[in-house]
Amino acid sequence: MSLLQEERNIILNNEYVDNFDFAEVEEFVKNASKDLFISYNFKTKNKMLVQPRGGFPTYDKMFALYEFFDKADVDVLPCTIDSNTRLNDYTTAKKMLRLSEENEVDMLNGYPLINHGYRTSRKMMTHFNKPISLRHGTPDARLLIETAIASGIFEIEGGPITYLLPYSKNFPLDKAFLYWKYVERVCAEYSKLNEPINRESFGPLTATLVPPCITIVIQLLEMLLSLEEGVKSFSVSFSQTGSMNQDIVMGAVIRKLAKHYSEQIGVTDADIHLVYHQWMGAFPMDQNFASQLINMSTVIASMVGANKIITKTKQEASGIPTKEANAETVANTQYLLRILNGLPNIVDEQEEEILTAEVMAIMEAVFNDPADTLWRKVFNSIKNGTIDVPFSPHIINNNEMITVRDRNKNIRIIKRGKVPIPDRCFEYEKNQCDLNKDTTSIVNDIIHDIGIMQ
Amino acid sequence: MSKLENKLLIDVGSTYFKLCTKDNVQQHFRDFNKDIYDDLTYKCGEIIKDYDKENIHICSSANGGLSTLIIGVTNSFSLKYATNIAFNSGINIIDTVLFRDIEKTSIPSELIDVVIVVGGIDSVSNIFDERLFKFLDGLNYSNIVYVGSEKDSAFLKENIENVVVLPNIINEKLHVEEENLKEYLTNLYQADIMGKEDIKHLYDITSNQIFSTPYIVNKTLPMIDSKFKVADPYILIDIGGATTDIHYSKDLVEENMVTENEYDRLVFKKLGVFKSKESLIFAAKNNEFVYELLAHLKVTEHIFDETSEKATRVLMQLAIFLVLCKVSAYRQAYVNLKLNALNSIVLTGGITKVLKQEEIEDIVTFFYKKILNSQHNPTIVMDNNYDVWTLGMLEK
Repeated sequence: MSLLQEERNIILNNEYVDNFDFAEVEEFVKNASKDLFISYNFKTKNKMLVQPRGGFPTYDKMFALYEFFDKADVDVLPCTIDSNTRLNDYTTAKKMLRLSEENEVDMLNGYPLINHGYRTSRKMMTHFNKPISLRHGTPDARLLIETAIASGIFEIEGGPITYLLPYSKNFPLDKAFLYWKYVERVCAEYSKLNEPINRESFGPLTATLVPPCITIVIQLLEMLLSLEEGVKSFSVSFSQTGSMNQDIVMGAVIRKLAKHYSEQIGVTDADIHLVYHQWMGAFPMDQNFASQLINMSTVIASMVGANKIITKTKQEASGIPTKEANAETVANTQYLLRILNGLPNIVDEQEEEILTAEVMAIMEAVFNDPADTLWRKVFNSIKNGTIDVPFSPHIINNNEMITVRDRNKNIRIIKRGKVPIPDRCFEYEKNQCDLNKDTTSIVNDIIHDIGIMQ
Repeated sequence: MSKLENKLLIDVGSTYFKLCTKDNVQQHFRDFNKDIYDDLTYKCGEIIKDYDKENIHICSSANGGLSTLIIGVTNSFSLKYATNIAFNSGINIIDTVLFRDIEKTSIPSELIDVVIVVGGIDSVSNIFDERLFKFLDGLNYSNIVYVGSEKDSAFLKENIENVVVLPNIINEKLHVEEENLKEYLTNLYQADIMGKEDIKHLYDITSNQIFSTPYIVNKTLPMIDSKFKVADPYILIDIGGATTDIHYSKDLVEENMVTENEYDRLVFKKLGVFKSKESLIFAAKNNEFVYELLAHLKVTEHIFDETSEKATRVLMQLAIFLVLCKVSAYRQAYVNLKLNALNSIVLTGGITKVLKQEEIEDIVTFFYKKILNSQHNPTIVMDNNYDVWTLGMLEK
């Protein structure tokens, strides 16, 4: 028996798992409808796929949400997992699920997949014959992804960096890398049986003034960590920055470098996709403004040429959106995508060259770390500040990089900390900003820039 | 085990010698009337003579480990960081003292091997004052090290004889900087071994440094799945004759710090089934669940007065139960582990020779049901060969 299988046996020998049947699950994946695989949809649907967010605690409410989405012509269904499950606290999730079932109040902010179990969940996940994407935020997602794939969920979002640095303060990063290695391996194993399981990285990170070079580096590294374990379908992603031009430049550079680095590690048979998140920062309270913001995000996603767009709702600023609001966004986004014809092809060569140089310099520094494995090179690079995510709450993050917006609302680096971007790029970044102000004014600018869409 | 070709690994414990060659692992009960070297060479001389000095690697916990007392300024930073470094260096902590309470703290009477004074980041000054010196005057210690704010180091040097000053273990970002103190404590352990005649004598058979066993065990943990069916997060419990060590995966605790280790260590100095038997019984009698546990094991408290094989087995089962209690949310201790997230429990030490797998599973199930009201059932892994330490011996 392989080490991986031994580990799987232990992970699935959990009091909340009702007799996990590996052979049956394998058989299920082997014979599953190809339409359930987003990797197949990417290949066969000649359009940008639209995916909302959403998750409710009870089976009935989740099913009703999916019915709404189905009527709104959704391409990809979401399965957002509740916070307790994200923290591997299945005991509390179970308690809250029972309370949600007994009362008309949602006591969880998502679907507790582990507690429902794969046998029950599979009925729902396969009913609509549409791909489902697992949205969670779990550093240790080993049990969750086993249950997800067994349920018929064939896209797994997240990664050791993108699901840790924005979400966690204390969870050990080295452990997260090892736990995600398990996830990649399991996804790679199941990918041999039918269409590939798609892995998607979470590009928005903290969604707070993250400069494009950091977003892209982390996307590329999570992609490489996934590909080196045998994953054959991967989505890099990023969220709207607040500058249309910067988004278009990011889209071009991330595509180009994803191809470059996957070839560099000798992987030429994996499909790489681009996913665009509608605005992930603070939303306006005014629902009309929120709708305008969502529409603009859709236009930018088209300009970027994304393969999938992940939507927001006009209720974003005021709590968990209703299924009606979610479905409305899906329908509106689909309509807007249909009428967006003849978009111009915009190229900003200077910005692309600068961003490419920044990303490649950081990547080179990561590869030059003396560690013997890629995950440890990346771990060391985060620990020593070579990779630095603004506003990350995690204790391992260096938090020395400072960013602010220039007059055109591009995110610019004004303090690079230990991130080794070339001097000429750094000078270019700073020259776009007015740094002759006093410190208080710059801090006020940063605060304003965080809430730019409000 | 290919790394073991031509190598001999020896672990000198408080109760047993363990020898590991590429062919097998042997254990020999120590004769406490003899010098360690004499006892070892008498029992295992035939094996030892086949190996060159550079191919013999020794780790030892026979000197009982070093004891430390830590004086710090806050529980959240200075005491927490120094405690973590001390445990992971194989040092046993006698007590921690919060500086603001130092005048109300009773001074330990026993000899302390090393006192660690810590507090503040480098930009802070005037943290310590006369109260510290007064406390130290009444304390019986062999070494003292200061790893606090740089600005107070001159003041402490003036007022404390033989104080060793090292870089602050708390950096400007309030992160831990462990290396200097860790190295100092490891070297101190080494010096302690060198100072103990019967251990020092072991350098006649090895030219390699003798390390502390807990330090070596901690090194083995990332490799443990090459030997056992273990899934992270797990804990390793080493119940020995004198102490009980617990090594735990760091994702089992909420309050982590960024260190080099994937695993942290905690030691219960007076929880053992041989040399620390009395204090184990004392701890058991003070645990409100123990009588239920004894009933569950179908024995009465009279078992504490017996010296039989059965009594030893019960004591060992109690030790497992007590150590789980001590690290669970049931007791507010230095660490509370998220035991519901545990996938595996690895057991090593003398108990693996005495208890059967099902006896341990029974205790663990009882603990989870009784203390945590849970049906959780981590897999139990027994280091029956008592050789988990060999994984780390060649990886230092």
